[in-house]
Amino acid sequence: MSESRSRSGPAPVRRLNPRWLVLAGAVLLVLAFPTLAHGDYRLYLGTQVAIYLLVAMGLNLLSGYAGQPSLCHGALLAVGAYVTAIAMTDHGWSFWPAAAAGMALTAAAGALIALPAFRVSAWYFALITLAFADVVGGMLVEWGGLTHSFAGVVGIPMPELSGHALSPAELFWLVAALDIACFLMIANLIRGRFGRGFAALRDNEAAARASGISMIGLKMFAFVVSAAITGLAGAFYAVQKTVITPDDFTPDTSIFFLVVVVLGGSGRLWGPLIGTLAFFVVPELLTSLQSWRLLIYGVVLLALMLFAPHGLEGAFRAGWRRLVRSGGTTRPAAVTEAVRPTLDDDDQAAGMAVSIAGLVKRFGGVTALDHVTLRIEAGSVHAIVGPNGSGKTTLLNMICGFFRPDEGAIRLDQTDIVGRATARIARLGVGRTFQTPKLLADLSATANVMLGAYAAERASTVEVALWAPRAAREHALLAAKARYFLGFVGLGDRVGEPAGELPHSQQRLAEIARALMGRPRLLLLDEPAAGLSLSEIDRLGALIRSIAGLGVTVVIVEHHLDLVADICRHVTVLDRGRVLAEGTPDSVFRDPAVVSAYMGVRPVAEAQVPA
Amino acid sequence: MDLDIIPSGLAAGSLYALVAVGFNILYRPTNVFNFAQGDLVMLGAMISASAIAAGLPWLAALLAAAALVGVIGLAENFLAVAPIVRRSSASHAWIISTLAYSLIIDNLVGHVWGPDPIRVDPPWPFSVTSFMIGGVRTSSYQLALIALTGLMILGIEQFYRTRAGRAVRAVAEDRDAALLRGIDPDRLSRWSFFLGAGFAAMTGLLASPTMYASTQLGPSLLVKGFEAAAVGGIGNNRGALVAGWILGLAEALGGSVLSPGYQAASTFALLLAILLIQPRGLFGQPEARSV
Repeated sequence: MSESRSRSGPAPVRRLNPRWLVLAGAVLLVLAFPTLAHGDYRLYLGTQVAIYLLVAMGLNLLSGYAGQPSLCHGALLAVGAYVTAIAMTDHGWSFWPAAAAGMALTAAAGALIALPAFRVSAWYFALITLAFADVVGGMLVEWGGLTHSFAGVVGIPMPELSGHALSPAELFWLVAALDIACFLMIANLIRGRFGRGFAALRDNEAAARASGISMIGLKMFAFVVSAAITGLAGAFYAVQKTVITPDDFTPDTSIFFLVVVVLGGSGRLWGPLIGTLAFFVVPELLTSLQSWRLLIYGVVLLALMLFAPHGLEGAFRAGWRRLVRSGGTTRPAAVTEAVRPTLDDDDQAAGMAVSIAGLVKRFGGVTALDHVTLRIEAGSVHAIVGPNGSGKTTLLNMICGFFRPDEGAIRLDQTDIVGRATARIARLGVGRTFQTPKLLADLSATANVMLGAYAAERASTVEVALWAPRAAREHALLAAKARYFLGFVGLGDRVGEPAGELPHSQQRLAEIARALMGRPRLLLLDEPAAGLSLSEIDRLGALIRSIAGLGVTVVIVEHHLDLVADICRHVTVLDRGRVLAEGTPDSVFRDPAVVSAYMGVRPVAEAQVPA
Repeated sequence: MDLDIIPSGLAAGSLYALVAVGFNILYRPTNVFNFAQGDLVMLGAMISASAIAAGLPWLAALLAAAALVGVIGLAENFLAVAPIVRRSSASHAWIISTLAYSLIIDNLVGHVWGPDPIRVDPPWPFSVTSFMIGGVRTSSYQLALIALTGLMILGIEQFYRTRAGRAVRAVAEDRDAALLRGIDPDRLSRWSFFLGAGFAAMTGLLASPTMYASTQLGPSLLVKGFEAAAVGGIGNNRGALVAGWILGLAEALGGSVLSPGYQAASTFALLLAILLIQPRGLFGQPEARSV
C-alpha cells in the first residue's frame, strides 16, 4: 500500500495508475491468446469463456450489485441468441443489425419482468424471473414456426465485416474487447452514484428512499442494462455455436450463471471473471460428472452462502487484508480539508415550515395517530416527545412519506405532500435519520454520505459509464463535500472506514452527515441520542445547534429530555397518538398531565432520565 | 369453449393453492420463502408413491411421507436457513441457500427414483375415471380434491386463531417483540419447517393421482405455488385458495383456447397483470410498520 499524502502538500509526481497496467496486461493477453491457444478447440473454449463472462457480468450487475437475484439469465441469453439467429438465417440480415435487434428485444424482456418487481422485494423478483424462464422455455418449443422447435436454428453464419467473414480468432478478439469495455463500464457505474444507489437498493431501501432515490428508475436501469448485456452475449453465443436448440437454454443454464457469479464473488468487480475462469479450469465438471451437475451446483452454492458469502474474490481479499495487517500498516492520514471548521455561505438554507392538521393513522385496530394537529415554525428546533408507542416515529414516517395518512393533511411550506412518494418528498429538501442507523455497511463512510446527494447529481448515465470529465469532476467535488460534512459532525478521521465498522454512536453522526449532504431545509432526527454517552450527547447538542444555525428546520424525536430542554424552544408531547401538550420545554415539562403520562408522579426536573 | 376446463382447472388450482399454503406456513413465522418447497412436494409424492406401490395403505403412506419430508425440512432449516438468518436477518441470502437445497434434493431424487413418472391411484372410494355431470366431464377424485382443499384451508385458518396460531402471527409481525413475550422464534421456525415440509409432502401425494409422481413436479409446482401465493397475497391462505383456482382456470383456459404450450404463459401474464395493479396481491396486507 502506498502512503497517502495530504492534499494541501506539494502536488506529487504523477505516477502511472495501476489500473492502466492491469488494462494493458489484459489487452496484451487478449491479443496473444489465439496464438497461445495452439489449436481451434482451445480458441473455441476461450471464446465461450468470453461470452459467458459477458452474461456473468450482466448478472452480477443485477443480482450482485443491485441485489435482485435473477433465475432467468439463461432465458434472456436464449432471447438474444434466437432473435439474432432467426434474423440471420431465415431473414438474411447481417450480424450487426441482427445482434442489435437481439439486444433490444432482450432488454425489452428485462423491462417486462422488471415491471411488477418495482414494489416487491428481492425474493419475489427471483420467483418472477423463474416463472419467466419457464415461459421462455415453453415458447421456444411452442412457436415452432419461428424457432424450428426442437430442431433448433441451424447454419448460423459468422459475422461479416466489409465483405469477409470473421475468423475464429477475430471473433474471439471482438468478444474479448466487448468484455473489457463492459468491465470498464460497470466499474465506472459502480464507482459513480449507481454503485451507491445499487448498494442502497440491495441493503437498505428505506435509507435510499429517504435520500431521494427513486427505486423504480434505479431498478429498471439495472434490469435493462443487465438484460441488454446478456442479449448481446446471446448474439455471439448463436454465431459461435452455429446451431442453437432449446436444450441449450434449460433452467440449469440460469442456475449455472448464478453459480458462476456467487462462486466468483457476488457484487464484486472481479467476481464474474474469477467465477467463469474457475468453471473452465475444472472442465471435468462439464463432462464426466454430468448427471451429478445439479447436486454439485447445489452443494457449491450452499457451501459458499455458509462459509464464503463474498465468493472467491471476497476470500482472496480477506486473506490479503489479513496478510497486509500483520505486516503492520498505518491508518491513512485524515484529509485536512475535511475538518475545516467554518461554514460556507452557500450552506445556508431557508428552513421549511411544517403544518399538520387532523392527522389520523391506523394500523389494523390500533390508532397510532389520532387527529394530530401541529405547526412547526420554519428554522426552529422542535422536539416531539412522549412515552413509547405514543406515535412519534409514526409521525416522522408520515412527514417523509413512508406511510400514507388515513385522514388529515401535511403541508411542507405550501406544498401538500400527502400521497407523494418518499423519494419525491426527500427531494423537496427533507432529510432524516433513523432510530437504528441505516447505513450501507460495506461502503466507506464517505460513500455513505455521498448517497445523500444522489438526487442532486447531474452527470448523465453515459458520462458516468465513460467516466467523462464532468462525471469525474462531480465525483471529486461530492467526495470532498462528503468529507467536509463528516468533519462537520466530528468524523473527520473516519472518512475511509467501512460504515459497518464504525461504532454505533458514530453511525448516528454519519447518518446526520448523509442527511446534510442532501441540502435539507427540514431535518428529521429520530432518537439521535439513544445509546450515546453523556459527553457524546453534549457534542450532539452542539452539532444540532450549528445545523439550526444554517437555517435548517430541525424536528427531533427524543427521550433524552435534558437534551431537548437544552436545544429546543418548542416541544410537542404525544400520548397514545394524541397531542397532550405543547409549548416551551419549561412549561411543558411542568405540566401535571405530561408528568403523570410520561414519568409517573415525580416532576421531570428531578427525574433521572434513563440513557 | 369447452366447459370441462372448469373442474380440471379448479382441481389443478387446488393443488397450486395447497403449495401456496405450504409457502405461507413457513413464511409467516420465518419471513423465509422456501425455494425448495416445490422439491419437498415432489419428494413427498415420490416417497408416498413408493410406499403405496409397496402395499402400504394410503393414509399410512401419507403419514410416512409427511414425517420423512418433515425431517428433510428440519434439516433444511438447520443447514440452509438458520445459520444464514442468524448472520443477518435482513439479508436475502436465504434465496440462494434454499435454492441450493432444492437443487440437491432434485438431483438426489432423480438418481434414486429415475426419470419415469409413477402412477398413483386415488384412495378408495375415489377414482380418476371421468364421468359426465350436467354436460361437464369430471372425475370423483377431482371433485374430492377441490372440496378437501377448501376444507383444509378453512381448518388452517381456524388454527391461526388458537394460542399457537397467535404466537405464529406475533412472530411474523415482530420477532424481537415476540421474544420478549416468551415466544421462542427459533423453536417456532423449526416447527414451521417441519410442518411446512410435512404439508408439502401431503400436497405431493394429493397431486400424484392427477399429475403423476415425477421429478418434473418440483420446479413446476414451485412456480405455480408462488404465483398462487403472490396473486392471493403472501401469507393469506384464503387468498391463496381463490388465487389458485383463478390461476388453475386461466391455465386451463389458455391451454384449451390457444394450445397446451400456452399454459405457463397464461398464468404468467395473469400474474404480471395482477401484480401491476395490486403489488401485494388480491388479498394482501396493505402495509406494515417497517421503519
